[in-house]
Parts: sequence; C-alpha cells; structure tokens
Amino acid sequence: MTAYESEEDFIPSSDNRSLPLGTSLRDLAVVMLISIPLQLIATDLTLGAVLAGLAALYALCVLGLLLTKYSPFYLPSVAWISLVGIALTLPFTPWFEWFNELVTGIDFLALAVPPLAYAGLAISKLELSIMRRSGWKILIVAILVFIGTYVGSAAIAEFMLQVTS
Amino acid sequence: MESMKTLVRLWPIHLIVLVTSIVAQIIGVRAIPIGIGTILLLPLLFAFVFTLLLNPNVIKPIGRVLSTRRVAAASPLIVIAIMPFIAKFGTTIGPAIEEVIQAGPALLLQELGNLGTILLAFPVAIWVFRMGRESIGAVHSIAREPNIAIIADRYGLRSPEGTGVMGVYVMGTLFGTFVFAIIASILATSGVFSIEALAMACGVGSGSMMAACSGALAAAAPEATDSITALAGASNLLTYATGMYVSLFIALPLVERIYLRIRPDDPDNPRNRAAEEPV
Repeated sequence: MTAYESEEDFIPSSDNRSLPLGTSLRDLAVVMLISIPLQLIATDLTLGAVLAGLAALYALCVLGLLLTKYSPFYLPSVAWISLVGIALTLPFTPWFEWFNELVTGIDFLALAVPPLAYAGLAISKLELSIMRRSGWKILIVAILVFIGTYVGSAAIAEFMLQVTS
Repeated sequence: MESMKTLVRLWPIHLIVLVTSIVAQIIGVRAIPIGIGTILLLPLLFAFVFTLLLNPNVIKPIGRVLSTRRVAAASPLIVIAIMPFIAKFGTTIGPAIEEVIQAGPALLLQELGNLGTILLAFPVAIWVFRMGRESIGAVHSIAREPNIAIIADRYGLRSPEGTGVMGVYVMGTLFGTFVFAIIASILATSGVFSIEALAMACGVGSGSMMAACSGALAAAAPEATDSITALAGASNLLTYATGMYVSLFIALPLVERIYLRIRPDDPDNPRNRAAEEPV
C-alpha cells in the first residue's frame, strides 16, 4: 500500500511494472462496473451497447497491461494501452468497422470522472503539508507554469499548423 | 483468497467513488460566462471536489467513519481508473490517423511549449517572489512524475530544487485540473487559437489534466470532439516519449544557466556549494 512517510519515499511513479496483474485486472473490472451508470447518464446508448463498449475498452486495457509486463522493452502501461487502441482502430485494418462501432459511442468525459474521484480520496497528509509549507507563492508560480506550458504549446502548434497548411 | 480480502477492504472507497461520480455526472457540464469567454465546470471537477471533501486528511471529522489508512489505498487506483479513459483516447487516434500525421510537425514541436514556463513563471519566481534555487525545480517543467524523478536524481528531493518541484507537483495534483479546464475553456471560447492547436496543447500534462482540458474544449466545440480527442491523445502519447528528454536536456540546463547568470553569488549554487567545503 502506498502510504508516503517522507519526501524521500515520495518519488511517485505514474506506472509500475511490478504491480501484480491479477490485482490490476480486478480493480479495472470494478472501475468498469462503476462506469456503467455513468455512461447510461452521459449517452443515449442502450445498456447492451454500453456493456459492449466498456468490455471492448477493458479488453484494450488488458492487452496493454500484458504488453507492459511481457514486452522486451519498457513503456508505461498507459502508452501501451494507447498504442493498442490506435492499432485496433486504424481505418485500413479488417477489424476497423467492427471494433470502432463498439467503442465510438462511449463518452470519454464520463470515463474521466472515476479517476478524479479516486484522486480526491487519495490526497495524503504529506501532500497537504507540502502544500501548506510551499505556500501561496508556489501556488501562483505553479499556476503560471501550467498557463505558460499550455499557451506555449498552443502557440507553437498554431504557428506550425499555419506554416504547414 | 488474498485478492478477495483486499477487495473487501477497498469496497468503501469504490462505493464512495460510485456515488460521487453518479452525482457529478447528473450535474453535468455547467457553463459560467465571464467577460473574455466561458468557464466550463465539468463532471470530473465536481467528482474531485466531492471526494476531497470526504477525505479524512482534508476534513478531520470524517476520520471517525473513514480512516486515513483506508483512503491511502485509493492512490494506486488512480492509475488503474485512468486506463479505460486512455484506451478510449487511443481509439479516437486510429480513425483520425491521417489528420494526426498531417499535424505531425506541429505535434512534435509543440512539445517544446514547455519552455513557455521560462518566459512566464521564471521571472515572477525570481524577481517578484525573490525565490532562490527552488525556482529551478519549480519552473523547469510541468512537474509530473518523470520530472520529479529527474530532479530527485540530480539534486535530491530535500534540496531547494526538490522543494520547488514537489511544491508545483502537489499544487498540480490539487489544482491542475481546474487550471487546465479554465484556461482551455476561456481560450476555446475567445477564439485566439484554433481548436486543433488548443487540443494538441492539452497533451502536455498528466492524464487528468488532459481529461479536464480536452473535456473543456469538447464542451465548447462539440462538433470537433473527435479531432480534439485524437490530437490531444496523440500529443499526450508523444509527451510520454519526449517530455522527459525535453525537460532533462533542454529545459533544466537552460533554467540552470539563466539562474547562474542572474544570481551568480547564490551560496546554494553548485559551484559555490563546492567552494565552501574544505578539500
């Protein structure tokens, strides 16, 4: 269990190869169950279509996790999952129509609700004490870091789009 | 079975997530018009606030019914819960692969947008707040996990640089989604940048930041949802590949060099630190 005691243990990793696969698959299944009512609220899909769509996404995650664990080189599981998602929906593949049909109606915004709900619960004492110690100056600097990165990226992207098109 | 035991131990967490998520989803997207654009409040932000208010570390009395040890188990579940979302993003990149490839040069170069922090945040940290070397850790990147690893490796987390990066990391964890949702919705509704450029920029941070950012864009321009998620997803995938290198080989050396130029006499500078120690 992750209970951070001091900053030294607090090199949070976005991912972890040593995470037991069975536990991940079980927790992933619970998250999928939580997503069923959310999709029913967010979309006009029937229960059957929601179940099929979420099952397809579950299968993608499982493939990604297997690749994370057994591939000869390391990529974070989210990168593998993303790559599997791309590979299964490339328009020139024979399974494209079938697979795309399954997942296309699933609402992406509703899928982002459970992770943020877990994130709110996971805020630890250590994080709150770092926040208090850092104070409002770091808060303002942090906000400027986010705005700077976002606007910087958008400006470069905009410029490149105009140059290349 | 061990697995069943932990599942039983985790059920209060899952139950809280289920209930708060449903309430958040029913509330849906709320728009607050302000002068220069519109701020869009998304279900994911509501869910985050609800569970923050049920977190015994934040609201002490909750500890009587929900122990802090129990909620600590929610931490590894964040990565698991974000996976289906990332999978869905992947499935929007595939069908739009031509558009993504066409946007290739823009996608690659916007990874350098990171350096925008040096223009905006660094001067404020140095000249307005008179911060020391913690400013190096704070502004060299958006302070997600790989960046913390870099700073930990080079300076250690108890150093001033470590304090800076941890500060921004924690602020990002607590407020990052809000900041991203707010800037993205204001920029999308004010029409300064094209929606494609804004979508690519959504990929620069963590998964939750991307969710908040692309969610705000999609709510502002629903007809472009598919290309927003495809471009944001491609940019985020690219960030996993390149983000760490931009930070390690470009941003950090640059910030370090500018700092040495502005504050050559800071006793905490590595050169001066070494000089003080007897040989």
